[in-house]
Amino acid sequence: MATLLQVLASGLAIGGIYALIALSFSITFTTTKTLNFGQGELIGIGAFLGATVLFALFGGTGSFEAMPSEASAGFNYPLAATAVGVAIGAIGILLFLVAVRPFAGKPGMSWVMSTIGFGIILQSLALAVWGPAPVNLPSPLGDDVIRVLGAGVRPQEILVLAAAVVIMLGLDLVMRRSRLGKAMRAVAFSPPVASLMGINVTAVMLGAFALSGALAGIGGLLVAPIAQASLFVGMGIALKGFSGAIVGGLDNPRGCIFGGFALGLLEAGVALWQAQWREIVVFALIILVLSVRPNGLFGARSLDKV
Amino acid sequence: MSKIAQHGVSRRRLAKHVLAAAALAPAARLLVSGAAAQSAEIKLGFNGDLAASPSAQSGQAAVLGIQTALEDLNGQGGLLGRRLTLVIRDDLSQPPKSIQNMSDLIDNEKVVTVFGPTNSGNALAWRHIPNQKRVPVINPISSATDITRPASANADNYMFRVSMVDRAQVVALMAYVKKSPNARRVGFLSETTGYGQGGLRDMQEVATAQGIAPVANEKFGVNDTDMTSQLQKLRAAEVDTAVVWAQGTPIGQVLRSMDKIGYFPTLISCWAADNQSFFNAAGQQLAERTIFLRTISEDRTPRQQQFLDRVQSRLPTASAFSFAVHGYDAAMLLAMAVRQAGSTDGPKLREALETLGTPHEGILKTYDRPFSRTDHEALEAEDLRWTRWRDGRLVAYADEVTRSLQPGDFKG
Repeated sequence: MATLLQVLASGLAIGGIYALIALSFSITFTTTKTLNFGQGELIGIGAFLGATVLFALFGGTGSFEAMPSEASAGFNYPLAATAVGVAIGAIGILLFLVAVRPFAGKPGMSWVMSTIGFGIILQSLALAVWGPAPVNLPSPLGDDVIRVLGAGVRPQEILVLAAAVVIMLGLDLVMRRSRLGKAMRAVAFSPPVASLMGINVTAVMLGAFALSGALAGIGGLLVAPIAQASLFVGMGIALKGFSGAIVGGLDNPRGCIFGGFALGLLEAGVALWQAQWREIVVFALIILVLSVRPNGLFGARSLDKV
Repeated sequence: MSKIAQHGVSRRRLAKHVLAAAALAPAARLLVSGAAAQSAEIKLGFNGDLAASPSAQSGQAAVLGIQTALEDLNGQGGLLGRRLTLVIRDDLSQPPKSIQNMSDLIDNEKVVTVFGPTNSGNALAWRHIPNQKRVPVINPISSATDITRPASANADNYMFRVSMVDRAQVVALMAYVKKSPNARRVGFLSETTGYGQGGLRDMQEVATAQGIAPVANEKFGVNDTDMTSQLQKLRAAEVDTAVVWAQGTPIGQVLRSMDKIGYFPTLISCWAADNQSFFNAAGQQLAERTIFLRTISEDRTPRQQQFLDRVQSRLPTASAFSFAVHGYDAAMLLAMAVRQAGSTDGPKLREALETLGTPHEGILKTYDRPFSRTDHEALEAEDLRWTRWRDGRLVAYADEVTRSLQPGDFKG
């Protein structure tokens, strides 16, 4: 019982991050039919940017690699999250203008290469600024293990899960209830028609990339106290988030969230059996799902007329 | 996951480097012709990661040690009346780049010896090159056992090492497990990378040689943050002593997961636990719960202290000090070989290294015939020092078991 509960706790914590990143892929895909393949770099940079803000708020004394827990205390962490959201959101806009817009709607896959390239440039710049060493980021809620019915969780894991759920519920509400959400869905349905209806299509697309970037950056800041801030971990998380999005259905935000959580739980569950088989099982299952449902479990059936 | 991701990176990075190399080629040719004019210099090379992976700091420290040795040697008038220079090539931890650097250093720069690389995998990717081109390599950093293994039984071997050797480390760890009265049920934990699985293979072979039968064998990914599932299986198998082979950060995550489920078997780690990244990941209290081996003790000799004072301000991180020492000693052993051979010719240097006549008082230890034709390891299991973290610092560790270990216990 405690064993299964532990798997559930561990799976939901990492699944929350996957879901958040899956959602960030979905947002740009539904509005522009493009994705940022450099999303992993945004996660890493979000974590380091957050660490830098916390370090500055704390006073910039002591070791940057191992900040004391006071650095995240009080309003510091929410402030850092806001700063990261704004900054990485701005990078998202830049990414759209530089690496997506010139190629969107044109035949070929130039935007795939250009977003990958944008990510590599960002990562190389980040390496020049922060160096290769991982940085420890203290959790705002402390680091003591909380025990629930024999299973242990850390406060940050609960925070990750809670923040992911709140962000996702909020976005879901915005998408379905507000005029902005309607505009986004209209652009997703057909940019030319949306444009005729008086919707500023470019602004909506810019907004989608800003939001997608902000989610990745905040995801990085959330996961950093669990995994350490590192410029190299984002890639793996982005790949899992992308897999979650594909399994759930890229064009269905709720499906993406489901896919992310499912992947997290599956990983923790397989590790209980044979950890070295985890990647094999996870990706074999993804291929299986796609062969049965090519648009993901909850994706809309789309027909390309030739 | 990480494998796929890394593969993607390396291909993309490769494209970038090919472009950069093409753009720089004319400039490089100019440099080479300019260098020919100063042939009075003896050129040494360094090839290894200095910027791209978490191990980069080890590479930086080794370069610092080599450069310090060259300062000293040049201060005494150089070797064979010629000044020494170090040509540094960063391989960004990528095997293709590392191979390319090797050819560049040997063929274009005409270096007489190469130090490096930082990553074991890169050494295994190019160790045939120095053997074919007959230029000695002394490795001050990477620890994979196979790096110094000759291509075939009687072949001339140009790969030498002044650093930790995984096999020697495993032999000492298993000797501890064998002698410890509290280690009745042993479990292995390893990372699924080449480093982790190479160590696991050594652990299994040495365990068999010493008559230890592990009751659990679990693996985890290098970027995993939660090993509770694997640890629950160790607990179910009633493991009382776990030996972990992984990089610094994941060893820290193992301890954090142990904390989560409240299960603390005796934890014995590979030397990656001396890395600051381990300490940062585990946190101060948990970091003290494992013991491991290092090449240099924290009970420093006056000579070691003097060297530390000299390089401390330039060390990328305090825990990388050992690599600066390896680099310094490796360069000094090479200097002895050059003097003994009276030449910088590759085959003569190799022979001189294998037959160094007089004992050399190095920073780490006194090297008495450090290499032979069949043994290219300057450091052995007996040279390793037990260490642990205490109050945020690395300190020497000793208990009844470590004190009772005899040279005869180091089997396998």
